[in-house]
Amino acid sequence: MTTPSSNRRTFIRQTAGALAGLSLVPDAWEALPALQGPAVKAGLVGLGRQGRAIIAELQKIEQVEIAAVCDVAAPRLKSAAGLVRGAAAFDNHRALLDTRADVTAIVVATPTHLHRQIVEDCLAAGRHVYCEAPIAASVEDCEAIATAAAGAGTVAQAGFQGRSNPTYRRAQPLVETELRQLVSMYAQYHRKTSWRFPGATPDAERAANWRLDPEVSIGLAGELGAQQFDVAHWFRGGRYPVRAQGRGGIRLHRDGRTVADSIDLDLIWEDGVALRYQGTLASSYAGQHELFVGGQGTIRLAWSHGWLFKEADAPTQGWEVYATRQQAFGAEGIVLVADATRLAAQGALQSGIGLPHPSLYYALVDFVRSVTEGAPVRCSMQEGARATIVGILANRAIVTGEPVTVPAFG
Amino acid sequence: MTGAPLRLAVAAMGTRFELALAAGRGDLLAAGEAALEEIERLHGRFSRFAPDSLLSHINRTAWRSPVRLDRETFELFTDALDVRVRSEGAFDITVAPAMAGAGFADSAVRAGDGRLDAGGVRLDAAAWTIACAGPHVALDLGGIAKGHALDCAARTLRAAGVTSALLHGGTSTSVAIGAPDGAAGWGIAIGDAPGAPVVMLRDAALSVSDAGSQRTATDDGHIMDPRTGAAVRRSGRASVTGPSARLADAWSTALAVLGRLPDGFPQGFSARLLPGPESTPHSSAGAA
Repeated sequence: MTTPSSNRRTFIRQTAGALAGLSLVPDAWEALPALQGPAVKAGLVGLGRQGRAIIAELQKIEQVEIAAVCDVAAPRLKSAAGLVRGAAAFDNHRALLDTRADVTAIVVATPTHLHRQIVEDCLAAGRHVYCEAPIAASVEDCEAIATAAAGAGTVAQAGFQGRSNPTYRRAQPLVETELRQLVSMYAQYHRKTSWRFPGATPDAERAANWRLDPEVSIGLAGELGAQQFDVAHWFRGGRYPVRAQGRGGIRLHRDGRTVADSIDLDLIWEDGVALRYQGTLASSYAGQHELFVGGQGTIRLAWSHGWLFKEADAPTQGWEVYATRQQAFGAEGIVLVADATRLAAQGALQSGIGLPHPSLYYALVDFVRSVTEGAPVRCSMQEGARATIVGILANRAIVTGEPVTVPAFG
Repeated sequence: MTGAPLRLAVAAMGTRFELALAAGRGDLLAAGEAALEEIERLHGRFSRFAPDSLLSHINRTAWRSPVRLDRETFELFTDALDVRVRSEGAFDITVAPAMAGAGFADSAVRAGDGRLDAGGVRLDAAAWTIACAGPHVALDLGGIAKGHALDCAARTLRAAGVTSALLHGGTSTSVAIGAPDGAAGWGIAIGDAPGAPVVMLRDAALSVSDAGSQRTATDDGHIMDPRTGAAVRRSGRASVTGPSARLADAWSTALAVLGRLPDGFPQGFSARLLPGPESTPHSSAGAA
C-alpha cells in the first residue's frame, strides 16, 4: 500500500470521504502499442506556446520528422531553429504547401480564430491535418472546417485530447458498467494567471493577447472548457447538452479587460443531467479535473491520473480484486495499473503515479497512427466542431447572461 | 517604474522561485508570468519525480534509442557533462540510481545497483540527441536544473523588455538583471548569519551550495559525493558567481563536494569557499 508523499507538489487533496478509490492509470510506463507504420514528414503552423509544446511531443515519436515550421512572426520563426534541427522555415502556410509536397501531415496551432483558412487550405492541398482545439472561434467556421474535412479524403483530427488519453479511455466504459445511473458531472479549470502575454512591440503584444480580445475570443468556456466538455459528450455516448447557462465576471484581474476571468456554467442534457463547470484565472486550487458522479460510484479524472471511487454498497465486478490500494482524497482506494504486481516488486508503484506522457502526446500519436496505419481517427473534425460549438455557445451564455439553446447536431 | 518591485512566485523543482521586477518597458506582469510559466515548463521537463517529464522519458528510453532534444536542452546536457570532467567527477548527473537507492523512493527512477556511469551518456552534436549506454544509466538534473530555469526565465524577461529584476530559486541560486534604481547592483547576502558576506550582483548569477544541506536521505543529511556515493564528511559553503546561472549552480554543487578549486574551474566565473567549523581554511578565487 502506498500513500501520497506530503512534500510533493500534487493535486491530490485530502477531503472527507469514505469511498474506495481505484486509480485508473492503465500502465505506468508504456500505455500504447508501438507505432508500426512508415515515417512521416510533418509541418507545424503556429509556433506559440502550444506549438512549442507540440514540437516537444512530436520529437518523441520516432516515425515523425518535423520537416517544416511556419509562423508569421519572425522572432518565433527564428527561435524555432533551436527547437527542431533542420526544419525548413516558412512565414506563411501557402508557401509551405506549395513547395513541400513531401510534408504530408500538418499540425495547426495558430490562435483559434485563424484556424479555418489554414485548415481548409491544407485539406484542399491533400494533406492530413491535426487542428488544435477549440477548432474555430465561430459556429460558421466550425461547420466549414467539418465540411472541408468530410470531403477531403485525408486524415483530419481535432485536438480534443481526452479521447486519446489512456486513463480517460480506461474510464469511459466504466461510466456504464460501474457508475450505472449518472447523477451529475463537474469540471473545473483553475489556474491563477492573468492570461496576458508580453510582446516585443505594441503590435506583437496586441496579437499575443487575442484571448482577451472580445472580438475574437471565445472566453474561458470556449478556449479551455471545450476540452473538458468534450469528455462529457464522449462519456455520454455522443449526446450533447441542449442548454447552456451561467455567469461570469472579473474577480481578480481588474485591468480593464472585458473577457471574464471567472465563470460558473451549467450545461444541461435532455435527460436533466447537468455538467457544472467552473473556470477561473484567479485561483489555482485543485487545478483541472472532472468528476462523473453515479449511483454506484464516482470517477475523478485529472488528465494524468484517474480514480474510480466505488460506493460501499456497490457490487464488486471482480477486476478490482486484483488492483492495489492507494490513499486518495481522504479514503483508501485501489490502484488500477496494468502490471501492478511487477511494478510493486520493483518498488516502482509510486504514490500519485501518472501517465508516462502528457495528454498531448497521445493525441499526436493517434494522429500519426491514423496517417501511417489507417487507424480510425480518434476525434473527427465533425466531433471537434460539435465540441467547439458547445464551447462557443456556452461563452455566449456567459457574455449575455441569458440561457442559450444548443441546437441538435444532425 | 517607481515604488516596490512587482513580486511573483511559483513552486517548482521542489522549491519556491521568486521574481522581483523593478523596471522595464511594456507589461511587467505579463513578462513576469511568462517567466514563471517558463520555469514551470522546465520543471515539467526535468523533474525526475514526474513520469511524464522529458527526463523520465530519457531515463526510460535513451538506452534503447537516442532521444531527440532541442538545442537548449542539448546544451544543458553538454554543460553538465563538461562540469563533470572539469570538476574531476564532483558533479555528476548520473547520480539518479544512487539517490534512489539512498532513499528518494518517490523518484520515477528505479533504484538500480547504484552504479554511476557518466561515461555512459552519449551526446550527438550533429543530431542533438542523447543516448545512454544501458538501462543502469539514469540522470538527475537536481544540481543544475534550477540554474537553467533561472537562465531561461531571465532570458524571457529580457526579451519582454525588463531592465531590472532579481530572480531566485529557493534562495540558493539568483540571477540579477540590471540593478535597482540608483544602486550598483542587487545585494545578496551569502548565508543569514550576522556579518555574512554580501555580493553585489548585476547582470550575473550567483549560486551557493552547502555541503551540509539536506540533499539526501542519509542520516547525516549531507550532500552526496558522486565519486564515492557517500555523504560529504565536511561542512562548508561554496558560492560561485558568473554569467550563467546553470553553470554557477553546477559548480557551486561541485565545489561544495570538492572543498577546493580544481584546475578546470571555468574562466569568467569566480568562487568563494567558506569554511565550516572543522574544514580547511577558506579560499576565494576569481578568474578573468
